[in-house]
Amino acid sequence: MSTRARPDFSFIRGVMTNGVTMVVVLYVILYAVYSHIEAGALSVSAFSDLVNNTIPLAIAAAGATFVILLGGFDLSVAGVLSLVNVVLATHPLDGAGGALISLLIAVGIGAAVGLCNGILVAYGGLQSIAVTLAMMILTRGLALVVLDAPGGGVSDWISDTLTNNLWGVVPASGLVAIGVALLWALFRRTDTGVALYAVGKDQTAAALSGINVKRTRCIAFVLAGALYGVAGFMLSAQTASGDPNAGAPLMLLVFASVALGGTAFSGGHGSLYGSMIGAATLMLLQKVLFSSGVQSFYIGLFQGLVMVVAVIFVNLITYLARRSHRHA
Amino acid sequence: MLNSKASGTNSNAQPGPAADNLARGEDTRGAVKWQRETVSAAGVFVVCIAALFLSRLINPEFGSLHQLQTILTLASFLIVVSYGQGLTVLIGGLDLSIPSVITLGGVLTAAWMSTLAPGGAWWQIPAILAVCAAVGVVNALGITLFRIPAFIMTLASGIIVYSLCLGVTGGTPGGAAPASLVTLMSGRVAGLPLVNLFVVVFCVIAAFVQSRTSFGQRLYAMGSNAVAARIAGIRINVMTVSTYALSAAFAGFTGMMLVGYSNGATLRMGDPYLLPSIAAVVIGGSSILGGRGTFAGTIGGAILLTIFDMVITSLGLAQGWRTMISGGLILAAILLQHEGALDWVRSIVRRRRSTTTRI
Repeated sequence: MSTRARPDFSFIRGVMTNGVTMVVVLYVILYAVYSHIEAGALSVSAFSDLVNNTIPLAIAAAGATFVILLGGFDLSVAGVLSLVNVVLATHPLDGAGGALISLLIAVGIGAAVGLCNGILVAYGGLQSIAVTLAMMILTRGLALVVLDAPGGGVSDWISDTLTNNLWGVVPASGLVAIGVALLWALFRRTDTGVALYAVGKDQTAAALSGINVKRTRCIAFVLAGALYGVAGFMLSAQTASGDPNAGAPLMLLVFASVALGGTAFSGGHGSLYGSMIGAATLMLLQKVLFSSGVQSFYIGLFQGLVMVVAVIFVNLITYLARRSHRHA
Repeated sequence: MLNSKASGTNSNAQPGPAADNLARGEDTRGAVKWQRETVSAAGVFVVCIAALFLSRLINPEFGSLHQLQTILTLASFLIVVSYGQGLTVLIGGLDLSIPSVITLGGVLTAAWMSTLAPGGAWWQIPAILAVCAAVGVVNALGITLFRIPAFIMTLASGIIVYSLCLGVTGGTPGGAAPASLVTLMSGRVAGLPLVNLFVVVFCVIAAFVQSRTSFGQRLYAMGSNAVAARIAGIRINVMTVSTYALSAAFAGFTGMMLVGYSNGATLRMGDPYLLPSIAAVVIGGSSILGGRGTFAGTIGGAILLTIFDMVITSLGLAQGWRTMISGGLILAAILLQHEGALDWVRSIVRRRRSTTTRI
């Protein structure tokens, strides 16, 4: 009776415990602060700059979410980003067709690394953090072999078109992110998408209900790797040159984005959208701090604090929700 | 590699066929666990010795007494820092703030010890270690009180500490190494480098604390099953705080040693120790999930990594290949510790035992 009498409470609780809502609210507040500090913040060019800066991190965080939903960790993201970046910088392919082939190569590299991770973790029964650590070091080394010092150049088509605005308003890189979000919306409804959450919540129960746990795990790593490939492709478009350590500074931010987006590190709870908006929030925070005159040295301080506060906040909300649920 | 391990256990883990036969019907799970850790630790040391012999083929200079001292000196940083990392891994955590805390320790040492009291006042060493340990305490409080995953908490605190070091020093840490630390790192006692003696003493004490004291036993209990450990009356919060504080203090001390060794602090001095510290623990046979592993294995892992690093460097390979080889090594170590590989080793041991008893 009590549950029927107060349906609005459960709805509010659903919205409150949903990490996505919280991070969207945070983003809007930050943007208001940003537009208050920086006069040109509401212009198209400032916004497309922000979007361009955000996209590589957002897509990489989206990829990491797959593995974190399963309760694992994927450290290989840093290596894959660097590897894709140096491959694109040393083998530039011109024109739109060349860009498409480059994208396929990028996704292929990521998926291949993801497959190695997936096979070793899912079928080999090894610990994800250890396997992906080794894969990260391997791919980082491979990136250094391909290109041992920053240099090279990404093809002009990629670096121009993907950082420009379509029809003068819509940032092209934003469309790539929307594409990823749409694919996730479709994937979420497939059997594998449902299985991903089921395995993350309780793998024994998932296995008993007929889900192929090993296959689901392996697919998650492959999809994560493929998205790291796309992220590396977008990163190369931003930097327009190669750097064998391009991915290293992004690794911390990837996990911070996922944490901000309300995805639980214990698995089974959270979504890709949250991570992407979390990434956007982190980059926006960087901009806000920068334009408010904080020394660039201390930006890491704020990023670390935001990361910790975000996790504490998600934990607190979940705890309160669980408690009120128990009392209701 | 596997064969050498198998023969190692066969000679190590046999109290005698008759006693073994009597004990056959009893619960031997404890024996199995002991065996696994012995296998891992002994295996790593066997590989170490093999690597030393093989390295002679590349450069006849290797394997000499002088070379051994250099290896032990270079490994000493990794051994000290991996002990702290190993303790956090033992309770099922991880400490990613280590490189930042090494930098913190180094920057504070160079700044305080040389300018405030050039003569070298002893109170500064505990003061610096206490500052570093405070980082560990904050880590542990975040992990136990706020239920933040250790991975995230230490990552975040690492960024924060590094950012503070960067901001306060303005990018260029000043100061020089105090005389006491230079003596520790490059002094000699009876022909042996002082730091080698120090590391040996450190290893003995550290291994004793981890495996023989009740503190160490509680850490194993927490890592194996935190719920059971709590029910058994272990104060999880206190233990977690002390573990992370120890880890941070050892990282800070590594920073001090590095300052003494290279006569100055840099902001990136801790970076080369994050991945190797985890790698040494994993190669040494500890489970990254906690509750399993010995410090002896970690020492072996640290020495092995140092030897390989030295051999790869002397081969004149490019940085990329060196990185790939160390990645491949870690992967190989993880694969070797896999249940399947260990079961295979055990089945061989068992088969040999059963044949000997039948005869």
